[in-house]
Amino acid sequence: MITSIAHTTIYVLDQDDALDFYKNKLGFEVGDDMKVEGDFRWLTVHPKSKPQHQLVLAEPKEGPMFSKDAAEKIRALIQEGAFGAGVFETENCQKTYDDLVAKGVEFIQPPTEQLYGVEAMALDNSGNWFSLVQR
Amino acid sequence: MTAHDKIKRLSMSREFIAENYQTSLCLTDIAKQSYMSPYHFLRAFKEAYGETPNELLIRLRLEEAKKMLITEHVSISEVCEKVGYSSLGSFSSLFTKQVGIAPTLYRRKLWALSSEAYRFPSQAIPACYAYHFLKKHGK
Repeated sequence: MITSIAHTTIYVLDQDDALDFYKNKLGFEVGDDMKVEGDFRWLTVHPKSKPQHQLVLAEPKEGPMFSKDAAEKIRALIQEGAFGAGVFETENCQKTYDDLVAKGVEFIQPPTEQLYGVEAMALDNSGNWFSLVQR
Repeated sequence: MTAHDKIKRLSMSREFIAENYQTSLCLTDIAKQSYMSPYHFLRAFKEAYGETPNELLIRLRLEEAKKMLITEHVSISEVCEKVGYSSLGSFSSLFTKQVGIAPTLYRRKLWALSSEAYRFPSQAIPACYAYHFLKKHGK
């Protein structure tokens, strides 16, 4: 039986920039930030005190799994906003929205009543969409 | 105090811990950052974050210790001191309890696995990622 999700991947354009966004704008904490053999940087973040689910911030680069062409296509798709980073929960969508707007986070939808709660939608600094939901 | 104000205050203590975990911290000093009594703070912190300030402190210290053990050529005593513990014995038993292996063995094991000095071996990350990004099967 699968009991929980431990890691999910968010492809980003630049790991340093993404780290700045997720840490300094969204307030996430760094899970792992380590150089692994072959100059690969294993970088994960998670919401405060929720290390059980790590978001892997990875750059699509030419390498074992991506050809140069594939990596470039993925980068272009990220910038176009083709990918979603997921849904982040908040206790107060309006307050979090106000805080993040003040920090310069770009929103594509302000807090809006939905069937499942109050939701706002934003972009990270790579172009990935994410939702903030208050249930 | 609104829930938002409470979280804001608690965040100040969290940041205080994150910035000072290498030093000796006591609950009273941490609680002061949130303008709360230690008792009230402890309860509110646990309720908000699902872990106590001490659990957070231990987690941050041990994560840093693990990183230092692999990426720096310093003694275990130095690692112990740099992450905020004054007793090598307490640090070693805590590390062993939480990580499942003693600091010296942890270092020896990971150094032996890595083909590059001061780099984490690919086995330190989930195998699906190691395969995806490094084309390596963890074993």
